Amino acid sequence: EEAPPHRPALVKMSAAEPVWFFCTAGRGLEPFLAREVRARLGATEVDCVSGKVFFRAAAGPGELRKLRSGERLFLLLKKHSPLPVSGNKGKMLHEIKSFVVEEPKYWLAIISVWKKFHGRKRKTGDVSRENVLALKRKSEETNTASKRQKMEQVRAIVSEECQVEAGETSVAPERMSGQESWTESKTSSEFPSKGTGDNPTANEKFSFSFRVSCRCSGALAKILTSQEIGRAIGIALVKQCGWHADLRDPDLEIFVHLNDIHSVVGIPLFRLPLANREYIKTAGLRSTVAWAMASLAEISAGALVLDPMCGLGTILLEAAKEWPEACYWGADISDSQLEGADGNIRTAGLVDKIELLKASVKALPLPSESFDSVISDIPFGKKFKITNDAQLLPDILQEMERVLRVGGTLVLLLSQDLRRHVDGLTRCAGGDSAEAAADGDSEAAPAQAPDVGGNSSSSARRVGESVLSRHFGSLVPEGVYAVSLGKTDAFIHKYRKVLAAGNW
Amino acid sequence: KLGHPSELPPEPVPDYEGDEEFLRRVHHVLLEVEVLEGALRCPDSGRRFPISRGVPNMLLTEDEP
Repeated sequence: EEAPPHRPALVKMSAAEPVWFFCTAGRGLEPFLAREVRARLGATEVDCVSGKVFFRAAAGPGELRKLRSGERLFLLLKKHSPLPVSGNKGKMLHEIKSFVVEEPKYWLAIISVWKKFHGRKRKTGDVSRENVLALKRKSEETNTASKRQKMEQVRAIVSEECQVEAGETSVAPERMSGQESWTESKTSSEFPSKGTGDNPTANEKFSFSFRVSCRCSGALAKILTSQEIGRAIGIALVKQCGWHADLRDPDLEIFVHLNDIHSVVGIPLFRLPLANREYIKTAGLRSTVAWAMASLAEISAGALVLDPMCGLGTILLEAAKEWPEACYWGADISDSQLEGADGNIRTAGLVDKIELLKASVKALPLPSESFDSVISDIPFGKKFKITNDAQLLPDILQEMERVLRVGGTLVLLLSQDLRRHVDGLTRCAGGDSAEAAADGDSEAAPAQAPDVGGNSSSSARRVGESVLSRHFGSLVPEGVYAVSLGKTDAFIHKYRKVLAAGNW
Repeated sequence: KLGHPSELPPEPVPDYEGDEEFLRRVHHVLLEVEVLEGALRCPDSGRRFPISRGVPNMLLTEDEP
């Protein structure tokens, strides 16, 4: 799949110039992605907004595919300020079409760039017939679908679209294609007749297939639905360029995102989201979050890294892939989890990098101060078989702190509930006036839920005095990062072990 | 005790740092051999920790300290 590094050029730009991209990201991961595109791709003009990072880079698909904290990567075609919203649907659709649709030669230039990027070879001749048949079947299928089903799909998509937050998750694109099948099959039903009659070879150049994925939210969504917009754009493109819609396997997918912040048109570069890792067999924690956690741990060559509640090993896998010159250890009490982790490690070819132990995080069979980093996703709620997570937390933290060397890092993923318990522990601990003041601080400035409406350019948020400093004496907080795990939110906490100042 | 034809002497010979053959064998045993089934034994207590499919079970029972 890996094409040789290539510097794609857009229309008038010369081959050596960098190109604009944008990459979607789970809420809270935008700063990680911004940092990553700069470090990995030498990106410039990096611009973070909620759910997306825009940047310029001269990088080939091989390098771009390596991005670890993003969801989907797109070639940026257009980015404008939000389209002015009027109550008139017809006028709005016209505006949108003017924005998106261009002359065929513009699209041909885009397509040639995109094709070069992928080095993809299309089959000859059969393409038009194949697509035509697929479309015919598709339009028959969806016509027989019940109206209620369609309405439910529409409602589901529209309600997600119309949420105030502009943040994106990787769930939406899958839903989008479902919705698009309803829209595009209607437009395509006119086209089979055109396709079958013609000479297949003459058709080759023109029988390009496409799919429009449209997402709109904010003020615009009150006037028009995503599918209305998608359909209008689709029809216009068909008229303009003579293409046909293909929902299953289009040659080109055009992504249109319209909200209160901007109007964006792009082309996805890869079929699968970046978050899908070909080296992970069974997914546990979201790979992007796992990578972000590992990126905070400051793993250097020769480091010893431990995940004492490793589960399926996602954090260790992401870390070992990115920072291979370190030694990774994983422990878990569950046989089934360890089996899954073992399978993952073998699939990823990391058997000589990651060592597994069946052990309890409350009694680690490891020497004190033997690890440079401890990284862990503390299982929440029902996953924990024992009753009270809160009671276990001090024991768990104590062992983690013990095996960590002075100067080492501790990176934890905590749920909203666990954070509250941690805060609760803060209040329980008695203390002198300095501590009481710190208590006041931590209560006055609890970390907020992710700021979903506006920019999330600032990453670290201090949480006053850490409970751990009181109990364990030597763990100093170095940042809290709110992230979205899809359905729930969680918090990455980073600590550094220092020489314990006073007594215990 | 690996039950593996590595032929290591029971104790390191004097000047083992210079004995290349010995070093090769130690390197092999430490870094190239993966124990899939077997056990680890604590040198102090003698307690056995079984290894199954490459993963040692280090869990202690309730009555163990």
